[in-house]
Amino acid sequence: MEREPAAAEGRAHPGGRRRRRRRRRRRRREGRTRTVRSNLLPPPGAQDPKDARLCGAAQPLADNRLKTTKYTLLSFLPKNLFEQFHRLANVYFVFIALLNFVPAVNAFQPGLALAPVLFILAVTAFKDLWEDYSRHRSDHEINHLGCLVFSREEKRFVNRFWKEIRVGDFVRLRCNEIIPADVLLLSSSDPDGLCHIETANLDGETNLKRRRVVRGFSELVSEFNPLAFTSVIECEKPNNDLSRFRGCIMHSNGKKAGLHKENLLLRGCTIRNTEAVVGIVIYAGHETKALLNNSGPRYKRSKLERQMNCDVLWCVLLLVCMSLFSAVGHGLWVQRYQGKKALFDVPEGNGSSLSPVTAAVYAFLTMIIVLQVLIPISLYVSIEIVKVCQVHLIHQDVELYDEETDTPLQCRALNITEDLGQVQYIFSDKTGTLTENKMLFRRCTVSGVEYAHDANAQRLATYQEADSDSEEAAPRGSSLPQRGSIGSQQSARLAPGTHGTKSHRRSGSRAEAKRASVLSKHTAFSSPMEKDITPDPKLFAKVRECNRSLAVAKHQGHPLVPLSPELADVFDFFIALTVCNTVVVTCPDQPRQKVRVRLELKSPVKTLEDFLRRFSPSRLTSSCSSVGSLTAGRSTHQLGSGLLSALSSDSALLGLQERPAPAIATATGGCCSRGEEDGWAPERAREPEAEPQPRPELRYEAESPDEAALVYAARAYSCTLVHRLHDQVAVELPHLGRLTFDILHTLGFDSVRKRMSVVIRHPLTDEIHVYTKGADSAIMDLLTTCSSDDARGRHQKKIRSQTQHYLNVYAVEGLRTLCIAKRVLSQEEYARWLQGHLEAESSVDNREELLFQSAIRLETNLHLLGATGIEDRLQDGVPETIAKLRQAGLQIWVLTGDKQETAMNIAYACKLLDHGEEVITLNAESQEACAALLDQCLCYVQAGGPHGSLEKAPGRSGPNVSVGFSPLFTPSETATSGPGPGPSLVIDGRSLAYALEKSLEDKFLFLAKRCRSVLCCRSTPLQKSMVVKLVRTKLKAMTLAIGDGANDVSMIQVADVGVGISGQEGMQAVMASDFAVPRFRHLERLLMVHGHWCYSRLANMVLYFFYKNTMFVGLLFWFQFHCGFSASAMIDQWYLIFFNLLFSSLPQLVTGVLDRDVPDHVLLTQPQLYRSGQSMEEYRPRTFWINMADAAFQSLVCFLLPYLAYYDTDADVFTWGTPVTTIALLTFLLHLGIETKTWTWLNWTTCGFSALLFFTVAFVYNASCATCYPPSNPYWTMQTLVGDPIFYLICLITPVTALLPRLFVRALQGSLFPTQLQLARQLAQRSPKKLSAPGGPRQGFPRPEPEPDPSSERSCLSTAGSGPQDCASRGSWFSLRPPSSPEVTSEEPGAVNISVPLREGLSGHPPGTCVPRQAALERCPEDSKRKLSHSGRATPLSIFSLPNLRSLRWLSPLSLVSGLGSVLHFSRSGLQMDKQEAEFLPSPPQPDQDLVA
Amino acid sequence: MDRTSQGCPSRWRDNTALKQQHLPAHRLQLSATKVLSGFFVTGTFCLGVGIILILSAKSTKEIEINYTNICANCAELRENTINFDKECTCSIPFYLPETMQGNVYMYYKLHSFYQNLYRYSLSRSNSQLMGQDIMDVGNCDLFGKTPNGTPICPCGAIANSMFNDTIILSYNLNSSIHIKVPMLSSGITWWTDKFIKYQNPNSNHLPSAFAGTAKPPFWPRAVYELDEEDVENNGLVNDDFIVWMRTAAFPTFKKLYRRLRRIQYFTEGLPAGNYSFNITYNFPVTRYHGEKSVVLSTLTWSGGRSLFLGLAYTVTGTVTWLASFVMMAIYLARKERMTVFPQQ
Repeated sequence: MEREPAAAEGRAHPGGRRRRRRRRRRRRREGRTRTVRSNLLPPPGAQDPKDARLCGAAQPLADNRLKTTKYTLLSFLPKNLFEQFHRLANVYFVFIALLNFVPAVNAFQPGLALAPVLFILAVTAFKDLWEDYSRHRSDHEINHLGCLVFSREEKRFVNRFWKEIRVGDFVRLRCNEIIPADVLLLSSSDPDGLCHIETANLDGETNLKRRRVVRGFSELVSEFNPLAFTSVIECEKPNNDLSRFRGCIMHSNGKKAGLHKENLLLRGCTIRNTEAVVGIVIYAGHETKALLNNSGPRYKRSKLERQMNCDVLWCVLLLVCMSLFSAVGHGLWVQRYQGKKALFDVPEGNGSSLSPVTAAVYAFLTMIIVLQVLIPISLYVSIEIVKVCQVHLIHQDVELYDEETDTPLQCRALNITEDLGQVQYIFSDKTGTLTENKMLFRRCTVSGVEYAHDANAQRLATYQEADSDSEEAAPRGSSLPQRGSIGSQQSARLAPGTHGTKSHRRSGSRAEAKRASVLSKHTAFSSPMEKDITPDPKLFAKVRECNRSLAVAKHQGHPLVPLSPELADVFDFFIALTVCNTVVVTCPDQPRQKVRVRLELKSPVKTLEDFLRRFSPSRLTSSCSSVGSLTAGRSTHQLGSGLLSALSSDSALLGLQERPAPAIATATGGCCSRGEEDGWAPERAREPEAEPQPRPELRYEAESPDEAALVYAARAYSCTLVHRLHDQVAVELPHLGRLTFDILHTLGFDSVRKRMSVVIRHPLTDEIHVYTKGADSAIMDLLTTCSSDDARGRHQKKIRSQTQHYLNVYAVEGLRTLCIAKRVLSQEEYARWLQGHLEAESSVDNREELLFQSAIRLETNLHLLGATGIEDRLQDGVPETIAKLRQAGLQIWVLTGDKQETAMNIAYACKLLDHGEEVITLNAESQEACAALLDQCLCYVQAGGPHGSLEKAPGRSGPNVSVGFSPLFTPSETATSGPGPGPSLVIDGRSLAYALEKSLEDKFLFLAKRCRSVLCCRSTPLQKSMVVKLVRTKLKAMTLAIGDGANDVSMIQVADVGVGISGQEGMQAVMASDFAVPRFRHLERLLMVHGHWCYSRLANMVLYFFYKNTMFVGLLFWFQFHCGFSASAMIDQWYLIFFNLLFSSLPQLVTGVLDRDVPDHVLLTQPQLYRSGQSMEEYRPRTFWINMADAAFQSLVCFLLPYLAYYDTDADVFTWGTPVTTIALLTFLLHLGIETKTWTWLNWTTCGFSALLFFTVAFVYNASCATCYPPSNPYWTMQTLVGDPIFYLICLITPVTALLPRLFVRALQGSLFPTQLQLARQLAQRSPKKLSAPGGPRQGFPRPEPEPDPSSERSCLSTAGSGPQDCASRGSWFSLRPPSSPEVTSEEPGAVNISVPLREGLSGHPPGTCVPRQAALERCPEDSKRKLSHSGRATPLSIFSLPNLRSLRWLSPLSLVSGLGSVLHFSRSGLQMDKQEAEFLPSPPQPDQDLVA
Repeated sequence: MDRTSQGCPSRWRDNTALKQQHLPAHRLQLSATKVLSGFFVTGTFCLGVGIILILSAKSTKEIEINYTNICANCAELRENTINFDKECTCSIPFYLPETMQGNVYMYYKLHSFYQNLYRYSLSRSNSQLMGQDIMDVGNCDLFGKTPNGTPICPCGAIANSMFNDTIILSYNLNSSIHIKVPMLSSGITWWTDKFIKYQNPNSNHLPSAFAGTAKPPFWPRAVYELDEEDVENNGLVNDDFIVWMRTAAFPTFKKLYRRLRRIQYFTEGLPAGNYSFNITYNFPVTRYHGEKSVVLSTLTWSGGRSLFLGLAYTVTGTVTWLASFVMMAIYLARKERMTVFPQQ
C-alpha cells in the first residue's frame, strides 16, 4: 500500500513530459517564484468567497489530481495514431498501403494491403490502451485516497480525496500517512516542532529524515489555526530538485522568514514518529517534486539498432533500385511491343496503348508495392517482442538475484539489452559499487596512540570466513569469550544488547543475518558484523579508567575533571563519536518508535519546573524548531540579559522578546532542573534497569553508514548513544550513568567542507564544546597552530604528526579515515559566533554562502583528538569479476571521489591495479603542467616501457608537478618478461579537470586508451560524467557506467548503458539507470552471459530478417524478367502480405529469444568470448552484405529451379507460384535451422507450426473462395499441387541446393578456421552435459547449511536440493567439484572457475593460450584444487606476501607526488612492519596453516 | 515484506528451465563426421532420385512442330487485321517414328506471349465467369464494353485474346486414307474450373442466357457458339476457354488442347506412322514476333519430357559429393590441427 503511489507515479510518460514541458515554458514567462496564500482567505481584491474559489482556479497551479494517462476516450484514436505515425516505418507502410488505392498502380487488393498495417497499428494501439487503462486505474486509486483537509465551511478538517487538494489548502496528516502533495510544515504535534518522514517511496532510503516546522510557527502557543494563517509564502517554481527548496514566508506584520528544504514534506513520503502535522500545500499534483522527478522509462536506441536502421536504409535503396530497374525494363518492353498490336497488350480506355514512359512510372510504383516486403513490416514489431522477452528472461535469472537483500536485477530500459554485449569501457564508482558500503570500524588512533584492534580484525576475518563456509568457525570462539568478558565488566545495561547480537551470531552466517534483517526491513545497518565491535583492550582500559575517575570526581563534586590530557582526549574522542552525528535511535521491537518518546513518558515529572519545561507552551517557545532560536534561548540562561539585548535585534528571537516572562522562567527552571536531569545522579543512571522489561536493543539509523559505524564503535567502548532529541543527546557511560548533552548546534556534513560539527554544552563542565568530524584533509588544516616552544605545543605537534602517520597507514590499507577534533569555546566566543550564525541562518538570499562562512568561523583552532579507520569492505567477488571483465577485453576505469591513496589501495585489492605493472600517476596543479605531463606520459607510453627518458620529468616540471613511474620490475626483468599489458593511469581530480579541457582531452584520451586501467580520484560527479562522455563521443566506444549513489547519477545517464547498484545508498542511481543489479559481481553475468546472448540473438535475428526479406523479394524480382517487368507476382498476394507476419515469424522469434550460441558456463569461463560482441563480429557491414549476397543466391536458386522445372509445361502462374512460396518457406526454416545453435522443443514446435500453418492456410484459402481477390485466383491450387509428384520433388531439391553453399562454408569454416565462439561451442559440447538437466536436482550453491535451525531460511534451503524451488543454486559449473573435498567445499564458489584463468592471465600468458581449463581441471584434480584453494581463499595473501616490497617501491615515487610524500617516505620502514602484521583489505590474512591443514 | 509460505524471499525467481534458459537443447554441431556423412547421404539420395527422374523422363515421347513459319502464308494473312474473316488452313505432315504409348496429349504452345503480364492478367471478371452476373465487367477496362455500351461476355483482355486455331490431327494410314485421330476436348481442365470457377448463367437456353451481351471483339463467334459439336461444351464452361483463361506462368507456355481418345487404332496410343496436322490458322502471332507450335506428348508420373528436374537432382547430388570429398581431403590434411580449444 505504501509503495503503490510511488509505483503508479513511476509510470509517468512522454505525454506527461510534454505537458510538463509546456508548463515549464509557461513558467518561464511568469517569472521565477510562486506565491502561495491560504485558500481560506479571500484573495486580495475579492470579497466574495465564491470569487475566491474562482480566482484560485484561475491560477495556473496544478491541482493534486494525478493524471498519468495519455488518452481520453475521445482522444485515444487520433492521438494514438498520431503517436504511432511518429515512427517512420509506420508512415512508410501506410503510404504503401494507400498507394494500392490508386487504380493505375495498385498491386494488391487495397483492403488486403491495408490489413497488415492495420493489424500492426491495432496491436500497438491495443497495447497502449491497456497500459493507459492500468495507469488510469492506479491513478484513480491514488486520486481517491483520503486526506484531512481544512474546510472553510465547516471550520475543521474534513476528509477529502487526494485529488481535491489544491495549492493553498491546509492538510492534516497523521502518523504513517502518505503525504499527498508537497506540503510546507506549519505545525507538528511534536513539542519540538519536528516531524520525521521516511522517503522510501521517493529514493528507497529507509532512514528517518527530520523536518521542522516553519520558523515562527513553532512559537505558537495554541494549536495551529489555519483560519488565522494570513502569511504569504513565496517560493521557487516547481522543480525536480529533491534536495533543495527555497522560499520565504511573509507574515502579515511584514516579517519575513526563510523557508528551506527542512520545512518541506514531499509527496510520496510517509510521516513517521509524529502523531500529527499540519501544513499548507505548496506544490500539488504534477508539480510536486516527486512527480517532476519521474521521467518514466527511458528510451535509448541501441548501437545494434542504429546499425540496423542504417541497413534498413540500404534496403530502401535496394528496393528503389530494383523498382527502377523494373521500371526501365518495363518501359523498354512496352516500347518493343508498341504498335505491334500484340494480343496481350492491354490498351488504355481510349484504345491507345500506354506510352512506355507512363508504363514505366506505373510499373515503378507498383513494383514498390510488390517489393515492399523488403522492408519488413514485422521487423520492428518482432524486435520489440524479442527485446521484451529478453528483458523478461534477464529479470528471471536466479543468478542475478541477490538473496541477502532480496533484490533481483531490474531492467529499466527495455531496448538496449544487446548493448550489454558490446560494452568496451566500464566506468565504475568505488564506494558502494566495488565495496559494500558497509562501514566497519577497524581501528583508531587517539591522541597519537594507535589502537590496532587486532581482535576486531580477527573478528572481521571470521566473518569473512563465515561468508564462505557459514559455519560457526572455531576462531570466532576466541573472540566471543573475550567479548563476553568485556561485556561482563561493562555496565549491566549493555548486556541485553550483547545478548541480542549474540543471538544474531548464533543464527549463523552473515548472509543469513542479513536476510533476517531483510525480514525486519527497517534498518539498513543491522548486520552483527557491523554492530559488534571488539574493543581494543588497551583503549578499553583507558576508557574505563577515565570513566571511573570522572565518576569519582563527580561524586566528590568536582565538576572540573582532573584527567590527564591523554585520558581527556580519549573521553572526548568517544563523546565525539557518540554525539557528533545525526544518528536516530530506534528500537527494533517497535520499528519507527523512537525510544525517547517512551522514555519521556515514563520518566516521572519531578519538579514543577520540570513540568513547565516539558509541557508548558513556553517550551514550545524556547525550544522551537530552529536551532538558532533555541540556542539563543539557552544562551540567555547562561549569559544573562546583557547578551540577550545584544542578540535581541535578531528576528529569530522574536518569540523570546514577545514573551520574556516564560522564557526567563524556563531559564531559571532549566538551571535547577539540569542538575537533576542531566544525569548527574547515579541513581537515575540505573533507572532503566528498574524497568520491568529488559531494554530492547537499540538501533541506530544513520544517513551515512560511517556515522552508524562510529556510534557502534563507541558503544563497544560502553559509550552508548541512548537517545537523541534534536536539542539533546543522551549518552550512557558505565560509571557516570546517563549524561545528557545539550546540542546547541549541528552543522551538517557537506561535501565542500567535508566535515560536520556539533556544538554542545558539556554537562560535566558546562563548557561549550565543538566536536568536529571530517576528512583528514579538511580537519588537519584547521587545527590550532601550536608553537614548538613549550612542551605542550611540542607534544601536540608530535601527536599530530603521529596521527597523520597513522592516517597514511590507514589510507594505504584502504581504510576510510576520519579525523575527530574538538574545540572549547568560551561563552563570549560562542555568543559572538552565534550572532553571526543566526544572521546567516535567517538571511533569505545567499544563505548557503553565509552559513558556509559561519561554519568556517566555528571550525577553526581545533584540537585534534584522534582518527578512525573505517573499512569499507570489497563486495564479494569483485576482484574476480574485474579480472574476468578484463579478460573479456573491457577497459575498466574507476572514478571515485575518494582520495588517491584509498582509491589506489582499493584498486590493488580488487586487482584493478596489479603490483606487477607500472602505474602512471598524474598529479598536476596547473593547466600547463598537466599538458607537459601528458606529453611526457604519451611519449613514455609510446616508447613502450620504462626505459624512456622520463626520469627527468619531475625535475623539469617544477615542484608543483610530479609524475611517478614505478616500474616494479627492473628494466632487465621487464625485458625478460616481455611487453606488459600497458601501464595503469592514476589521475586526481584537479589534474582531471585540466585534462578534460578541450585542448588536452585528446591527449588524455590517447594516453588513457593505452592504459590498462584508469583510476580517477577525487573526481566530482560532473567530472565523472565528462569522462564518460569524452570516451563515448571521442572514442566512439560503447560505455557502461556503474554506480550506486547520487553522485553517480550523471555518469550513469551519460553512458550508453547505465547500471545502478540497488544497494544501500538510496535509489537515485537505480532510478537513473538502465539496469539495476544488486551487486557488482552480477555485472559479470549480466554482461558476459546475458549481454552476449542478447547481442548475438538480436544480431542473428536482424540478419535473418534481412536475409529473409531479401530472398523473398528476390524471387519476385527474378520473375519480372519473365513477365515483361510488369510488376506481376507469381506469389499470391495473401502469401505475400502475410508471409512475414504469420508464416515465418514465429520460429525466428523463438530463436531470437531463446537461442544460446554458447552455454553460459562456457561464456563465464572463457571471458574472451565477449570480444566477439565488442568487435561486432556477428553483425557488421561485411556480414550484412555477405548475408544479402547469400539471400540473392538463394532466391536465384529458389526461382530458377522451379522455373526450369515448370518451364514448358502448362502450369499457370499460381500453380507455379505456390511451390515457389512453399520452397521459400522451407528454405527459410532450414536456414534458420542452420543458424540456430540450440534446438529446444520450442524451436521444433514453432518450425513445425510455421510449416503447418502455411499449408493449412493455403488449403483453407485455396478452397474457400473461387473468385475472390483478383488478380490471384488460386482456387484449388494447393489441393491440386499436393497430388503432383513434381511439387514434392521440387520442394525437396530446391532448399537443399539453395542452402548447400552456406552449409558447406559453415562446415568448412567451423572446423578449419573456427572462430572463438565456434570453439567454445565445441568445448561446450565436449564438456559434461550437466547443464541441460532442466529443473532436475541441480547441485545447490555450495553454501552448506548452518547447524540445524528451524528458521525460515532453512525451509527455503531445504527445498533447494530438490528442484525448481532451488533457492541457492548457482551455475552448476561448480557442481563439477568433488563435494567430498572439504578444502574445496569451503571455498567461496565464485572463486573456483575464476581463479585458474585469472592466474594464468596474470602470469603473463596472453589469454587463450592455455589448454582448456576443463581439461586442466580434470587432468590434475589435485593440483588444480590446490591452486583453487590457494587463489580462491588467499588471493590477498599472495598479494602482499609476494609483491609487498614492490608495492613499497611503488610508494616512493608516489610520495614525491602526493604531498604527503615526506610522511610516507619517512614512515616507510614502519609501514612495512605494519603491513606485515596487519591484514590486507578484502580478506584478512589466512594463517598459512589454515591452507595446509 | 510479504514472503511465500516456504519462507523464500518475495522476489525469488522461478527456477524453471524455460525462465532460466536451461531448456534441454540439441546443438547443431557441424563436426566433420556429421557434416561428411550428411553430405554423402544427401548426395547419394539426390543422385538416385535424379537418375530415376531422368530415366522416367526419357521414357516419354514428345513431338513438337512449330508451325509459325510452315504456315507462312496464313501468318502473313493474319498480320493484317482486315483479313480477320478470311479463313486460312494449313496442313503439316509429319512422321511419327515410334508409337506413343498410353495417353497422348496434344498441346498448343505459344512463344513470347505474355499471359503473365500484370495488366493483362487483371483484365477479367471472375463474377462474370462464374455466371453470377454476366453484366459485371469489373476489371475489363477496354474489353469490358463495346463502344455502344453493351457489356462483353466474357470480358477482358484474356478472354479476348483466346487462342482460336483449330488443330486436327489426322492419321495417314496411307496416301489415301486419312483417319481423323479421335480427340477429346473434355477432361483437359481442372475439375474445379469446369464445375465451380466457370459457370454458365442459369438458363436452359444458352443464347438467351447471354442475351444483352456482346462477344469479345476478336472473337468470330459468340461465347455460346464456341463448340459446334458438343452443345454442352459451350458458353463459359467451354474447355478450351477455361484452359486459356488459366494464365500461364511464363511467356513461353503450352496449353493442353486435346487428349487422345483411345479407341480403334489408338487404344494403345498413337501408332507410328504418317500424320498430319490440319490447322485452321486464326491466331496471329507474327505481329509481335511470337511463334506457335503444336505438341504431342505422353506423360509419366514425373511430368513430361522435361529432363531438368532429373538433371537438377543429379547435379546437386554430384556437387554434394564433390563438396564432401573436398572437405574430407581438407580434414585429412589438417586433422592434427583441429579440435583443440582454444588454439591461437
